[in-house]
Amino acid sequence: MSTLADIQGVGLGLKRELMPQIQNLYPNPSVTNINFVEIAPENWIGAGGKAEHDLAWFTERYPIACHGLCLSLGGPDPLNINFLKQVKTFLATYKIPLYTEHLSYCSDIQHGKAGYLYDLLPIPFTEEAVHYVAKRIRQTQDILGQRIAVENTSYYVTAPISTLDEITFLNAVLVEADCNLHLDINNIYVNSINFGFDAHAFLHKIPKERIVYSHIAGHYQEAPDLLVDTHGEDIIDPVWKLLEEAYQLFGTFPTLLERDTNIPPLPELMTEINKITALQASFR
Amino acid sequence: MLDFQRYQLEFTAHIRSPKTAKKPMKVPDARMGVYSEIVFNNIYNSVSACFPVCRTILSKSAWLKLTRQFFALHQATTPLFREIPQEFLKFITSVADLPIYFQQLAHYEWVELAVSLQTVITPKLSKKTDLLNENPILAPANMLLEYDYPVHKISAEFKPKKKESTYLLVFRNTDFEVRFIELNPMTFQLLRLIQESKMTGEQALISLAEQIPHSETHAVIAFGLEILQNLIEQGALIGSVKNTN
Repeated sequence: MSTLADIQGVGLGLKRELMPQIQNLYPNPSVTNINFVEIAPENWIGAGGKAEHDLAWFTERYPIACHGLCLSLGGPDPLNINFLKQVKTFLATYKIPLYTEHLSYCSDIQHGKAGYLYDLLPIPFTEEAVHYVAKRIRQTQDILGQRIAVENTSYYVTAPISTLDEITFLNAVLVEADCNLHLDINNIYVNSINFGFDAHAFLHKIPKERIVYSHIAGHYQEAPDLLVDTHGEDIIDPVWKLLEEAYQLFGTFPTLLERDTNIPPLPELMTEINKITALQASFR
Repeated sequence: MLDFQRYQLEFTAHIRSPKTAKKPMKVPDARMGVYSEIVFNNIYNSVSACFPVCRTILSKSAWLKLTRQFFALHQATTPLFREIPQEFLKFITSVADLPIYFQQLAHYEWVELAVSLQTVITPKLSKKTDLLNENPILAPANMLLEYDYPVHKISAEFKPKKKESTYLLVFRNTDFEVRFIELNPMTFQLLRLIQESKMTGEQALISLAEQIPHSETHAVIAFGLEILQNLIEQGALIGSVKNTN
């Protein structure tokens, strides 16, 4: 049985394009710095055939982290309990110790019916929303029988009705839900540019004791003041600096490289993986 | 409903249908545009990937309009991404002005995805396959399909105008590849008797012979056995199990 302590070092998001490359190179030293892999339960629950076969291959060789996309913690429709139960079974079947989700929503209610939009939408930062989301995180943790971590999400629109800033909202939710934090370094940077706040000041207000996991990625610059979190480019220097600063402030924590679009061959991605490994080593 | 939720619903209504639903007050156009674009593109790509032929049957603008309507009007209930195409199948049953064969074509295109990801349990097979005296077993991930149109032949160049009963076996082989075999009506019946009624090859063929006027049972059995052997060679049948009936 994997435990949370097995998720450590550096990980890679398990995209279909990358799987055969990892399988071909394993256990070659060139890929040894991949310490764990991450999957989205929405892509794997109930999938048979090659998907099931490949997942078995990876679970036999790597600790797995689950990073969800569709739980819709901030959604206006009721939490999908059936789906949560499927997630619970999935985590147990594959002995997955970590489940994280986004501090966002991906569902709505139109014409009296609930429905998914399959993307990460920004929750307005209000007191009411803090209580609402915290309650749903608690409900999730009760059903799963384990703590989850929530991720600070990238966004492009601040709701005009927001009364709090992002870090205040994030911290209020973490405390009220008593859950862990999945710290996304790139998202801090993206949001700081999109909304003109100081990324370093944001980082300094992160509750160290709640960090269990982190993401780092590249993004797309649509305009000088608009970055889109595509996970489709190399990580840029200011984001590397932010990761370094985070390790300095909080000590190292497991860090996963996300690359979802425009995926280069694995050896190229290994350059970034190896760089994270080296950075972590310099703080040990 | 809470205040922030009223805002959320305005926000998503606009994302679903930017032309008909106003964006929430004081939200900048450019930023709102990021959402209406990326969220729809995500859905569009997922649907287009599963239905390449449906897409080419319609004009580019008609396909765009159909996927737009899907996103605007259909409340998808599955959190699993691979089931988005199924939601699309549900949606098109309510769309009036599509070609008559369109729903069946879409179903046929979805089948490839469905069979590739079907979860299955393989039964314990007899050491020695006996297609006549035991129950022949199809590759466990399979679908036996009956359509009113030759869905597997449809393309931009061939759009059927009249009905033509079409029988297909779609299965996943041991290399996880999805294969399609066109069946004649008799073979289709034979495989149904084998798969659904768990008959032995002989029982199924005798039953078929009874339905064919002026046929000789031994000739039907000989012919049927040849068909079953051929299906073994193609990997569509994987062996047999002793009948417990």
